[in-house]
Amino acid sequence: MSDLQTSTKEHHPSIMIVIIGLILVGATIGITQPVTAVQEFSPGNNTGGDDSICLDCHNKPGLTKDLANGEVLLLTIDEQHFSESVHFNEGVSCTDCHQDISGFPHPEFAARSLRDASLLLFTACQKCHTDEYNKTLDSMHQKQLSGGNPNAAICTDCHNPHTQERLTDPVSGNLLPEARLLIPQTCARCHNAIFIAYKSSVHGAALSLLDDQNVPTCITCHGVHNIQDPTTNAFRTNSPQLCADCHTNPEIMSQYNISTEVLNTYVADFHGTTITLFEETDSDQPSNKPVCYDCHGVHDIKKTNDPVYGLAMKENLLVRCQTCHPDATDNFPGAWMSHYIPSPTEYPLVYYINLFYKFLIPTVLGGMGIYVLADFIHRMVVRIKGVPHK
Amino acid sequence: MSSQTQTYQRFPIARRIEHIIMAVSFGMLGLTGLPQKFPTLGISIFITNIFGNVEILRLVHHISATIMMLGIVWHLLVANYKIFVTKEPMTMLPVIKDAIDGIQVFLFNLGIGKKFPQMGRFNFEEKLEYWAFVWGAAVMGLTGFMMWNPLMILKILPGEVIPAAKVAHGGEAILAVAAIIIWHMYSVHIRKFNKSMFTGKLDERDMLHEHPLELADLKAGLAGPRVTNPIELRKRKTIYFPIASIFAVIMLGAIYGFVNGENTALTTRPPASNPIPVYFPQTPTPMPTKVPLVSEGPLNWESYAGPLFQEKCTSCHGSLALGGLSLETYANAMLGGNHGPVIVPSNSGESNLVVIQSKVHMGQLTPEELDNIIKWIDDGAPEK
Repeated sequence: MSDLQTSTKEHHPSIMIVIIGLILVGATIGITQPVTAVQEFSPGNNTGGDDSICLDCHNKPGLTKDLANGEVLLLTIDEQHFSESVHFNEGVSCTDCHQDISGFPHPEFAARSLRDASLLLFTACQKCHTDEYNKTLDSMHQKQLSGGNPNAAICTDCHNPHTQERLTDPVSGNLLPEARLLIPQTCARCHNAIFIAYKSSVHGAALSLLDDQNVPTCITCHGVHNIQDPTTNAFRTNSPQLCADCHTNPEIMSQYNISTEVLNTYVADFHGTTITLFEETDSDQPSNKPVCYDCHGVHDIKKTNDPVYGLAMKENLLVRCQTCHPDATDNFPGAWMSHYIPSPTEYPLVYYINLFYKFLIPTVLGGMGIYVLADFIHRMVVRIKGVPHK
Repeated sequence: MSSQTQTYQRFPIARRIEHIIMAVSFGMLGLTGLPQKFPTLGISIFITNIFGNVEILRLVHHISATIMMLGIVWHLLVANYKIFVTKEPMTMLPVIKDAIDGIQVFLFNLGIGKKFPQMGRFNFEEKLEYWAFVWGAAVMGLTGFMMWNPLMILKILPGEVIPAAKVAHGGEAILAVAAIIIWHMYSVHIRKFNKSMFTGKLDERDMLHEHPLELADLKAGLAGPRVTNPIELRKRKTIYFPIASIFAVIMLGAIYGFVNGENTALTTRPPASNPIPVYFPQTPTPMPTKVPLVSEGPLNWESYAGPLFQEKCTSCHGSLALGGLSLETYANAMLGGNHGPVIVPSNSGESNLVVIQSKVHMGQLTPEELDNIIKWIDDGAPEK
């Protein structure tokens, strides 16, 4: 029946790429602005935007400051790395960010800890990277930060302003191939356990071992800058569309010989139907029905034919089923058609019952329709001719 | 004239209530079932929204199914009472004449046939509808049970029967709803609104049109319950009621089992068994330990003061010679700057370098370094 071919809305697989592209175009504009604005930012004659004066001292290895809590703040700038940074190459000078410094002695630095130091300084990013900064204000990280968690990521945790190399193509605004590889490593600074799981996943392994540019990185699913809480019901309910962005894209999937019918077959199934109706009505309602990652894994997604974890093995699938169906027995996984479209070889019973109704429905309804139509026309004729019925 | 207003009872009140229960539960089943079959259609989303969400929709579907099952049990009890106790004629059973009637009506409507058949209490249209309902109820009940209790079913049958049941349930649903719209709506609402299912009565004119043979039987006193002597009737009742009670209890138990047979799934998703910690920072790279600028050695220009000044001072006091002072070489250092010497051998107190470095100055010496420089000057500021 048509429920096996029910098509969902067409999704633009590239929408994420477009969004990221727009963000990065914005970033590029933001980055290039200071080139013309250096004079405006320059605080005084002492530096005049000339980094060499700062570096005369700050290039010295081991230049440190003892902080009140006993931590040691490294004040050395690695000239080699700094000269490769996008800031250096775009002509952003030290005092464009460190605006309170106009000479020596420097004003008293209030930070009592290393984290304090970062939290005091990172708001400087706002001046040039306004769009990205404002986006972060709507992020999960910002919520944590304002909720009193000082460890929540701020700009400089992901982008060290002294070493950050260019991430996007300055013309197209697209993420550079090498930048893609850096994304999981960046998130790993705080989310290392997830990174380890991701690295061994089908996606992560393809990225790190094969440099595969198609596979998702962290930001493909979680977004960038305005990263949202992925533990909400809404995120969960909408997540099949997230996976479908790539997994219904024939251009990408044909390279791996993966079916693009995974979403349709999921939606046609009881679980997918429920999630779809939740998604379309009120996505923030809790549901006990699984989404893609409940069976395939969240960050540790494995190939279905993985020799150890693969869901193609009924035993592995049964374990997944039993998560929510604790009383499920050996035959139970067979009730899920494993994204197959029924055919004479796969799920033939389903295929033939479907076929039976494909013939039965038009036959019965057609027969009824013809009979009713004949009756109706006859009555019309009788009424027009004025012949009393029977 | 009086025969025109004469009415005949067609459906007693119990049958009319039964019809309403069936109509409502059927309607609700269709309304709450089809959105589940076509979850991406706008109308499905609209209907789901009316109910609140898909779980409520499903609950209403299950309640409606239960009501319909109870209605079917009641219908069976009544039907069997009429068959075995009052021994009324089984007017709903299909007979050859029904097929002939159907063909004749069709041909008559096409203008080919000349004869419009005369029909009895239930004409072929009504029988077709009744038996279609019986078939539909059986398919829907069976497949519905399988989907409602998959664990129970899959202890015996292969997993494939569940999606097969779902396909059959959906296909049969389309057939049933569409048949009701085409067949039932046309014959009793559109062609002519036949109110007898609600009023219970049909007047003589309509009886003559639609059920002439029954009318003839009624007039002849042949229709309705056969007259039985009260003793015989009581005897049948004493047999029927115990059997019917047992049947009713079994059926109610079966419906209870249908509805509460198993807990297919947990209502709340269990938390991950081995959750990956979200915040799990990498061990930070250890802070590079500060390399002593000058190795242990004698306090003289060559091995201490010279390298130290080179490191900390010559950015300004080197080739730039700010203030006329260059600390590049021993000779230049001893020369001093625009304001005179900065190093006075053996007198650190008079040495401007020490005075200035004791305050805040760029390239600030650490207290330890300053102590060493004082000691060096007081030792006579030796070059070697």
